[in-house]
Amino acid sequence: MSATLTKTARPAGGETAALETAVGEVTSAEKPATAALASVTGAVADAAKGAAFRAGSWLWKATGILAFLALWEFGPLYLAAPSTRVFLPPLHEVLLAWGKLFEAGSIQGHLAASLSRSVAGFGIAVVAGVSLGLLIAWYGRLNSVLNPLLELFRNTAALALLPVFTLLLGIGEESKVTIVAYAAFFPVLLNTIAGVKTVDPLLVRAAKSLGLNSFRLFQKVILPSAVPTIFTGIRMAGTASILVLIAAEMVGAKAGLGYLIVNAQSSFLIPDMYAGILTVSLLGLGVNFLLVALERHFSRWRTAVGA
Amino acid sequence: MTAKISLRNVSKQFTVRPGKKSGGTATTLTAIDSLNLDVRDGEFLTLVGPSGSGKTTLLDLLAGLSTPTSGEVLVDGQPVTGPGKDRAVVFQQYALFPWRTASANVSIGLEGKGPDGRKLSRRERAAKASEYLKLVGLACFEDRFPHELSGGMKQRVAIARSLAYEPDVLLMDEPFAALDAQTREQLQEELLRIWRATGKTIVFITHGINEAVYLGQRVAVLSARPGRLKAIVEVEIPDRDGAEDIRSTPAFVEQRHKVWTLLHDEVRLAQDAGHRKILPDGSAPDEPATHQTPERSAA
Ligand SMILES: Nc1ncnc2c1ncn2[C@@H]1O[C@H](COP(=O)(O)OP(=O)(O)OP(=O)(O)O)[C@@H](O)[C@H]1O
Ligand SMILES: [Mg+2]
Repeated sequence: MSATLTKTARPAGGETAALETAVGEVTSAEKPATAALASVTGAVADAAKGAAFRAGSWLWKATGILAFLALWEFGPLYLAAPSTRVFLPPLHEVLLAWGKLFEAGSIQGHLAASLSRSVAGFGIAVVAGVSLGLLIAWYGRLNSVLNPLLELFRNTAALALLPVFTLLLGIGEESKVTIVAYAAFFPVLLNTIAGVKTVDPLLVRAAKSLGLNSFRLFQKVILPSAVPTIFTGIRMAGTASILVLIAAEMVGAKAGLGYLIVNAQSSFLIPDMYAGILTVSLLGLGVNFLLVALERHFSRWRTAVGA
Repeated sequence: MTAKISLRNVSKQFTVRPGKKSGGTATTLTAIDSLNLDVRDGEFLTLVGPSGSGKTTLLDLLAGLSTPTSGEVLVDGQPVTGPGKDRAVVFQQYALFPWRTASANVSIGLEGKGPDGRKLSRRERAAKASEYLKLVGLACFEDRFPHELSGGMKQRVAIARSLAYEPDVLLMDEPFAALDAQTREQLQEELLRIWRATGKTIVFITHGINEAVYLGQRVAVLSARPGRLKAIVEVEIPDRDGAEDIRSTPAFVEQRHKVWTLLHDEVRLAQDAGHRKILPDGSAPDEPATHQTPERSAA
């Protein structure tokens, strides 16, 4: 506690001293007052500079996006040939189409359909992946039996199995949830196994010497040390689940963002199609943001070194 | 004078994985060979030996983290069957749990049922953790994570953790080796203070002769591999608790020289086998050089 205080206090003190020496050359009688004033103005200037810097860095980061949006808006009007312009509507048309879809409630409907499928599949994958991963990592024998099989499945692209799931489960919700679960399962599983496997053996020795039995050892040492790696897997699974879901919805569905996109395309409602694509990328961004925040929260003790 | 710990004819062998050189046959390596040693109740025993002489192996046996190939390890007359709450280990590499705060690290050993079959509440555990953090000079650091602590502070937390569940025996494996000279001296003082205050039995491994003589009531010297007990030196330094720097008293220098002479041949043997942790002049590269001059002139 006290050390934190001194740490934050130090730069401020140093700054005052530096200012003092700079001002001190003028008159020694005025020194205290001037120094105090100088440090206040210095602090204000610093705060302003900080805010400006932050705004600047935001602006800097946004340049790429802004340039892209500008290109999207003006490119079709001035750069594209009239024949391709039909397929590349400018940004404002897309936004207008999005607004209309939103008013009609269809964006929400499709989003809800996609979300419920991906959440269901993703949830199943996380639960199954973490628990099976813990089991496999804990029982080494199981690992050697299952590992070749897992490698085989993992390297089979999930979408390649979509026809199989469709044949077995129909084109309804089950096949989509299943393929999402399948795609999201492997990142979770493999990262869980890796997380448990890479626990520091010294910590295991320490825990044993502290008299922890194997259950407690697992609960108090192995699991916590694996959590950051598990969350990396969960984040990867989140990305994978959206990717696969959209593709699956494009192939055969009655609702969902993937369906919205292909349906708009085949009905020649090109701005609607882009509105769907925009929604997909925003959804992906949102999910990733959420999962990254979660991952960071659970690996605070690990990432804090680099922060 | 009862024996707290006794090692009876203890040997430990490892099966070494077949290397390419040995033509693919597994060989056995004798790390400790028929070792006999008694540690008295409340004694501070230091253990020195060349690198690879089986010190860590011996400590693992005492801690119950491994079992002897032959012979018996007795604590309080009972054979050791596994780790127990009567013994605590302090490792060289701190081995703190990085996701736990200092306080939670210290109290981890208290989370199960105590010897009286009662579970401590969270509040009681935190209070006990603060008490022991204070004992090692880390009051107010309860909520820090290990990565926010210096090496010396981490080792203090590790010591507090091993003291917190009140073991009779403290097993320490080169606990101060990774620290700078000042911190090490400070922690040595503190360890002696804690030992005097609590009366625990301490087995302390080190590769520093100064440290061994300074801390130990007796210094056990192991021979180069396979580890055997080469000798036990009773450290007799009059006026140990006196205010003056005992490291420069003639008695200390004499005892130190005795241990050094015992180690000398063993170190040369070990060095021939490729270990270089202790130099032939008896100095360890990461030990302060100030106290070594007398021996160098004697050698
Ligand atoms: N698990 C193991 N498997 C095989 N050999 C081992 C194992 N543990 C230790 N040894 C061997 O036993 C010998 C003694 O090792 P140990 O770690 O006890 O030495 P030490 O005295 O602690 O050395 P140092 O001072 O370098 O820490 C070494 O030759 C080492 O290679
Ligand atoms: Mg060792």
